[in-house]
Amino acid sequence: KCGHIRISAPIVHLGGPVTASCTISQNCSHLDLEPQILWRLGEEPEQPGDRQQRLPDGTQESTITLLHFNHTQAFLFCCLQWGNRPQILDQAELRAGYPPTVPSNLSCIMNLTTNSLTCQWDPGPDTHLPTNFTLKSFKSRGDCQTQEDSILDCVPENGQSYCSIPRKHLLLYQNMVIWVQAENALGTRQSTQLCLDPMDVVKLEPPTLWTLDPSSQASPPHPGCLWLGWEPWKPSVFMNQECELRHQPQRGGASWVQVAPLPSSAYQYELCGFPPATVYTLQMRCIRSPLPGHWSSWSPSLELRTTE
Amino acid sequence: PLGPANSLPLPRSFLLKSSEQVRKIQAQGAMLQEKLCATYKLCHPEELALLGHSLGIPRAPLSSCSSQALQLTGCLSQLHRGLFLYQGLLQALAGTSPELSPTLDMLQLDVANFATTVWQQMEDLEVAPAVQPTQSTMPTFTSDFQRRAGGVLVTSHLQSFLGLAYRVLRYLAEP
Repeated sequence: KCGHIRISAPIVHLGGPVTASCTISQNCSHLDLEPQILWRLGEEPEQPGDRQQRLPDGTQESTITLLHFNHTQAFLFCCLQWGNRPQILDQAELRAGYPPTVPSNLSCIMNLTTNSLTCQWDPGPDTHLPTNFTLKSFKSRGDCQTQEDSILDCVPENGQSYCSIPRKHLLLYQNMVIWVQAENALGTRQSTQLCLDPMDVVKLEPPTLWTLDPSSQASPPHPGCLWLGWEPWKPSVFMNQECELRHQPQRGGASWVQVAPLPSSAYQYELCGFPPATVYTLQMRCIRSPLPGHWSSWSPSLELRTTE
Repeated sequence: PLGPANSLPLPRSFLLKSSEQVRKIQAQGAMLQEKLCATYKLCHPEELALLGHSLGIPRAPLSSCSSQALQLTGCLSQLHRGLFLYQGLLQALAGTSPELSPTLDMLQLDVANFATTVWQQMEDLEVAPAVQPTQSTMPTFTSDFQRRAGGVLVTSHLQSFLGLAYRVLRYLAEP
C-alpha cells in the first residue's frame, strides 16, 4: 500500500481539532526521493501538511492538524504531486457532531387496550451523529430506592422518541424506575428517572353518554330537565372512577358549566334547572379515583333538548 | 358479617390497589369464561366437577379470611399462597388454544402481579415467611379437552377465591 492515513479519531466534536498523518512507503518505486505529500479535505484545494519528515525506515510521513473541523462529514485525502496532477494515495472518512444532550420531558402512559406502557421523551437537538436512545427500567417498590428485577431494555423503532414496554415485562401495582439513555460515539447521557406504578398513569378513554327518553321514565318529566345515562370506557370498568359533566346551550356561545363529582356510571340521570325546549351540548370525562390517574379527554358531544 | 381483624395496620393504598387488582382479575377471568363457553360450549363448571376430581385440580383455601375469625396474617398468607397456586394452574393451562392464549396469558400475569402485591405487603409488615412458597405439583392435562375443561374449573375456582378475597378487602377498607 503506497500511502496510509491514520486519524486521531474517526468521529470528533464538531468545530474541534482533528490530527491526521499519512505515510508513504518506500516501495512506491516510481516516486522521487523526496515526494511532497499533500492533503485535500473534501472539495477544498490541496494543502501541504504542518510537518513532513523522513522516518528511520525510509518512509515519508506528513502530519496535519485541522484546528476547527466544521463538517459533519467529509473525506480527507492523502495525495502526492505526481506529474501535473495530484495523486490520491489514501482516503479517510471524518465525521463530527455533538455528544447527546440529556433526554428531557420523559413521561409515560399505560394503555389498557394494548396493555403496554408507552413512554416518550424529548431527544434534544440533532447531534449529527447516529445516536441510540434506550428506555431502561427496573422493578422497584415503595419510593424506588431499591432495585429489584431489571426489565428488558426497550429500544424504539428507527429514530422514534417513544417506546412501549409490553405487559409481560410489567409488574402492575408496584413502582418501577424508568429513564432514557442516549448514546453516540461522543458520549452517553441519562435522563432523570421516573418512579411510577404503571396503573397510576393509565390514560382513560372518555365514558359513553346516551340520551334517555323522558316520556319512558316512571315519573312524569319535570320541565327544563335533561335525561341522560353514561357508563365508563369498558376496559377500565374495574377501576373506581370519578367523572365530571359539562354543558352549554347549543346556541348563544355561553361558556361551559361543570357538574362534578359524578359517579362513573349512571343509567338514569336527570339534570334540571334549564329553560324548557332548549338544546344543550353535553360532554363528560372521568379519572381514576381515589387512586391516582389521568383525566380522560372529554367525550364526544351529546345534544339534548330540555323537556317542555 | 366478618369477625374482628387483628391489629395489623394495612395501608389504605394497599387495600385500594388490591381491590382494584381483584376487580381487574375478575373481569379478565370473566372474559376467559365467556370465550371458553362461546368457543367450546363449556359453560358450566358444575358439569365438570367429576373430571376436576379425577384431574386433581386443587382449590385454594381462605379459611383465615372467613367471617368467623378473620386472622389477618394467616389471611394474607393464604391469599398469597392461593394466588401463587392459581398462577401455577393457569401456567399449566398454557397452550390451550391460540384463541384463548392472549386472555389466558393476561389473566396469569394479573394473578402473578397481585401475588407480588400481597407478598410485598407481607414483607413490609414483616410477616412474610423467610422463603417464597414453591409450586406444588400441577395437574397433568393430557388432551385439549382436559385443558379446556381445566380452564373452566380453574377460572371458576379463582373467581370464588377472589370473591371472598374482595369481601375481606372491602371489609378492611371500611373506615
